[in-house]
Amino acid sequence: MAHRLGGRRKNVKKGFQFTFMVVGTSGTGRTTFVNTLCDSNVLPNKICDNPEDAHIEEGINIKPISVDLDEDGVRISLTIVDTPGFGDNIDNERCFHEIVAYLERQYDDILAEESRIKRNARFRDNRVHALLYFISPTGHALREIDIELMRRLSPRVNVIPVVGRADSLTPQELKDFKRRIMEDIEHYSIPIYNFPYDVEEDDEDTVEENSELRALLPFAIIGSDEEINVNGRIVRGRQYPWGAVEVDNPKHSDFGRLRSALLSSHLQDLKEITHDFLYENYRTEKLSRTVSGGDQEDASLNAEDMASQSVRLKEEQLKKEEEKLREIELKVQREIQEKRAELSSKEEALRSLEARLAQAQLAD
Amino acid sequence: MESPIVSTPGVGIAHLPNQKHKIFTKRGAHFTIMVCGESGLGKTTFINTLFTTSIKDYKNPKKRHEKQLDRTVEIEITKAELEEKMFKVNLSVIDTPGFGDYVNNYDSWLPVVDFIDEQHECYMRQEQQPTRSGATDMRVHACLYFIRPTGHSLKPLEIETMKRLGSRVNLIPVIAKADTLAPENLAKFKKNIMDVIEAQNIQIYKCPEESEDEDATTRNQTILSAMPFSVIGATEFVKTPDGRLVRGRAYTWGIAEVENDVHCDFKKLRNLLIRSHMLDLISTTEENHYENYRQQQMATRKFGEPKVKKYENPKHREKEDELRKVFTEQVRDEETRFRQWEQQLITERDRLNKDLETQHAQIKALEAELEQVYHHQSSRGNTIRR
Repeated sequence: MAHRLGGRRKNVKKGFQFTFMVVGTSGTGRTTFVNTLCDSNVLPNKICDNPEDAHIEEGINIKPISVDLDEDGVRISLTIVDTPGFGDNIDNERCFHEIVAYLERQYDDILAEESRIKRNARFRDNRVHALLYFISPTGHALREIDIELMRRLSPRVNVIPVVGRADSLTPQELKDFKRRIMEDIEHYSIPIYNFPYDVEEDDEDTVEENSELRALLPFAIIGSDEEINVNGRIVRGRQYPWGAVEVDNPKHSDFGRLRSALLSSHLQDLKEITHDFLYENYRTEKLSRTVSGGDQEDASLNAEDMASQSVRLKEEQLKKEEEKLREIELKVQREIQEKRAELSSKEEALRSLEARLAQAQLAD
Repeated sequence: MESPIVSTPGVGIAHLPNQKHKIFTKRGAHFTIMVCGESGLGKTTFINTLFTTSIKDYKNPKKRHEKQLDRTVEIEITKAELEEKMFKVNLSVIDTPGFGDYVNNYDSWLPVVDFIDEQHECYMRQEQQPTRSGATDMRVHACLYFIRPTGHSLKPLEIETMKRLGSRVNLIPVIAKADTLAPENLAKFKKNIMDVIEAQNIQIYKCPEESEDEDATTRNQTILSAMPFSVIGATEFVKTPDGRLVRGRAYTWGIAEVENDVHCDFKKLRNLLIRSHMLDLISTTEENHYENYRQQQMATRKFGEPKVKKYENPKHREKEDELRKVFTEQVRDEETRFRQWEQQLITERDRLNKDLETQHAQIKALEAELEQVYHHQSSRGNTIRR
């Protein structure tokens, strides 16, 4: 990787800073992947605690962890954000909101820092440069949760789809699965990070490399933090009764290619896109929102609640008024009846008086 | 007084089981099995592997974009007639596509649970009819719940669903696509699942353990200890490195065999479902689950009364909101109408009051006149006959 940088000696010595997030439902191999990538137990595996609490839905838990890696002599200060709890609830709507909020918070921090008069020289850039989304190896196609997540998050971060636990698919199944996923991604117009290249501008090597990586999407990942013995070699892998899967064997998994793309060849590109494109978009959106004078975001979030609340209030109001009107109606009717009764009694009295008068006159 | 048991020598009572056997073989059996679980867990493949024939069709992947994501759980029934050595079985397979596939899966177990209850209900009503001969029985004899092979533990959705299923039907939990788990992970996973099942009071089907036959007892015990069953499904035949032709999945690194007890529990599950305990499944459905349902229903309903349906589908919430808006508008219209009515009443009342006033004034005037007349009369000193 050093040769690519050419004259950027300063950076080589200082090292690079890179942040990526891993998202996927539990059991897709996120934690194992991260541990395999860093070659050490960075993230703890899920502890299945009390079985009596297993029915309780935990929300999503966003945790960043920092690791220092040495890649070909280059120091990389890696921040990995894990998201346990994603997709494990019965209702997963909130999970998306939380992840997006986390990403936007990092952008807000940078925005605030940029606008300061006296800027902090050692300000730490926590923006997420890449998001690895672990697709569950169903063998069919993308599920609703996959589509929704990638769609909602790609405006804020480079999304790289990955097939987790790819050792549950035979080679033919894997090929068909990858193809159908890419078809779905195109059908739903989901903008993922697809190793962009320009045939005219870039040199041949870059074009070739990027188109190769693009053809591998989504990467089929097998991870393992254990070492096994395969025909005398000690390799990282998983041992099944029917055979052994090797993590670093390119015929078994795309792990190696993904690792080199993420940490060597495309690290800069991912960072640049995050800064020049995604962050700029966010900045424009946010600043134009505050200018146009609306906390429209908050309003839209609460609009539904408020609408239903106001509907309920209106209903109650209307009910009360209905009752009031009914009471008034009854009262008025009663009064009318009373008056009618009075009237008729007075008429009676009148008639009797007239009768008496008539009699009196007759008697006269 | 108990009648003494007399063993009559050679009358022919011992031949009754044979007669029963003949009647049964002629009648055939029918078996309804339900597979429940998220999509992509190998349910269709499993059914086809279990009966070694293509009973269910796979979903056509080309059509997946046509179906708009309308977020409903469907009930799909596939029927087949199987025959082996002149014995027929009418098989019904019930699938639940859409279960657990959406972002919000709340209440997604309702269609499944309602279906099971409906079958009991249907049978119960048919039993109460005057002619009972043509009763169709779609009561579910076994429900296989496919658990996602995360390697950790059960998810809340799985727990909620299994709780509700276990009280209504013979629930058999199954670990799907077990070839993604290495042996130690699998063992740990099974233990976690059984711990959760016990802690959460989920009722699962436990085959009767003791039997007169020693072999049967040991077999039952092995079956029980293997729960939840790990399954691999494969309908195609592949060639193993040592030359055997088996049903299995061919990976680059090896072949996972379906009928190999080291690789998965498929054979044990098949024995449970078909070879040894199919009749037990059928009879527990009829004797326990159906009777429970019947008891519950009869305790609250009169004979012949239809069932009260309280089906709350959260997917209809949007329609509910729309209706609510229409309702508020109507109420608003009514309110304006009431106001107008009120105005009318008030004007009416005022008018009547005024009339009353004038009448009153007239009466007073007349009374005054009358007084004058009397006065006049009395002053004239005449006797007035009153």
